[in-house]
Amino acid sequence: MLRESMQIEGRQVHLGHVTHGDHQGVAVPHAAELLEFAEAVVVRDAPRTAAARGKLHAALGDAGLVDAAAITAAFHGFVRVADATGIPYATAAGGQDRPEIREAAGVNDFYRVRGE
Amino acid sequence: MSAISFGASDLTIRSDLIDAHESAWRAIAGPGTWLTGERRVAVAAEARRALDCALCARIAAALSPYAAQGAHDSLGRLSGAEVDLVHRVVRDPGRLTEAWANSVLARGVADGEYIEMVGVVAMVMIMDTCMRALGLPLRELPAPLAGEPTRYRPAGAKKQAAWLPLTEPEDTNAADGPMYPSPKAGYIYRALSLVPQSVRDYWALACAHYLPPQYVYKFDTSIRAISRSQTEILAARVSAMHQCVY
Repeated sequence: MLRESMQIEGRQVHLGHVTHGDHQGVAVPHAAELLEFAEAVVVRDAPRTAAARGKLHAALGDAGLVDAAAITAAFHGFVRVADATGIPYATAAGGQDRPEIREAAGVNDFYRVRGE
Repeated sequence: MSAISFGASDLTIRSDLIDAHESAWRAIAGPGTWLTGERRVAVAAEARRALDCALCARIAAALSPYAAQGAHDSLGRLSGAEVDLVHRVVRDPGRLTEAWANSVLARGVADGEYIEMVGVVAMVMIMDTCMRALGLPLRELPAPLAGEPTRYRPAGAKKQAAWLPLTEPEDTNAADGPMYPSPKAGYIYRALSLVPQSVRDYWALACAHYLPPQYVYKFDTSIRAISRSQTEILAARVSAMHQCVY
């Protein structure tokens, strides 16, 4: 999804950088603020989240912040539905998730893949 | 857009997001397919409890998530297997295995109950995470509503592609009610399909947070206040931190 959306917008992305939280290889406006916000929310660090939220709000305003929060939250549900039910991941991203993309993104290092 | 606030928020929050939370909490409070409203609210409460569970913290820190010994810090309203299900889905979803899922079923959790509980947990995670992300207090859990579960099991459900039975799009019938945006809906849409009402409840909430299905593959269109690539950076980073391969 990220790769496709970047290509449509004419931007570059190194998928492994996103997987590992490095914004340097991500040519998206406010990537650093978005990644920091997402990470702070995932680790449930309230002070870190508050700081990240302030920076994101300054950059994106009310509507942008609300949608960033909503999307970040949505994936707290998606990952649990997918991982708790063991759906096959070969068809993720509409079947566009090719092996070389998985390798580039670092997904092959994840627990479930290594365990197979 | 609506100026109605989430709790004490001064933020302007779009009204469909507020409505989605309201509907989701009502759905959680009511009787489900296999669980009463009381049990569904107990699952929601246990999902919150899991965040402070000492055993879950040890599991999350352990190289082998199934080696840690001890009991979960639970509220005591669910069975041991149900508590393990809820806590591990909340705290360590990326390291769940089929063997573990089978062990939950072997300890007395029916497959429909398993799926319904996962659906409730996922909804609570979405709503609570959204509130935390916005710096807002969590909503008080709703009072359970009276009523009996429907105990509806899709006739076409079968165990084949996933750890638990799915109702593939071609196996649905009118009695199941609407479940899929298209016959080619990906497995993420099918994951809860042993319990059709859980599919509907979960996706009504999820779509309001991410994207309705008709926009998911329209990469040149963003209906949100951030661009599609900004959306997907958030999605990718959150998924990676959860070690989600999907």
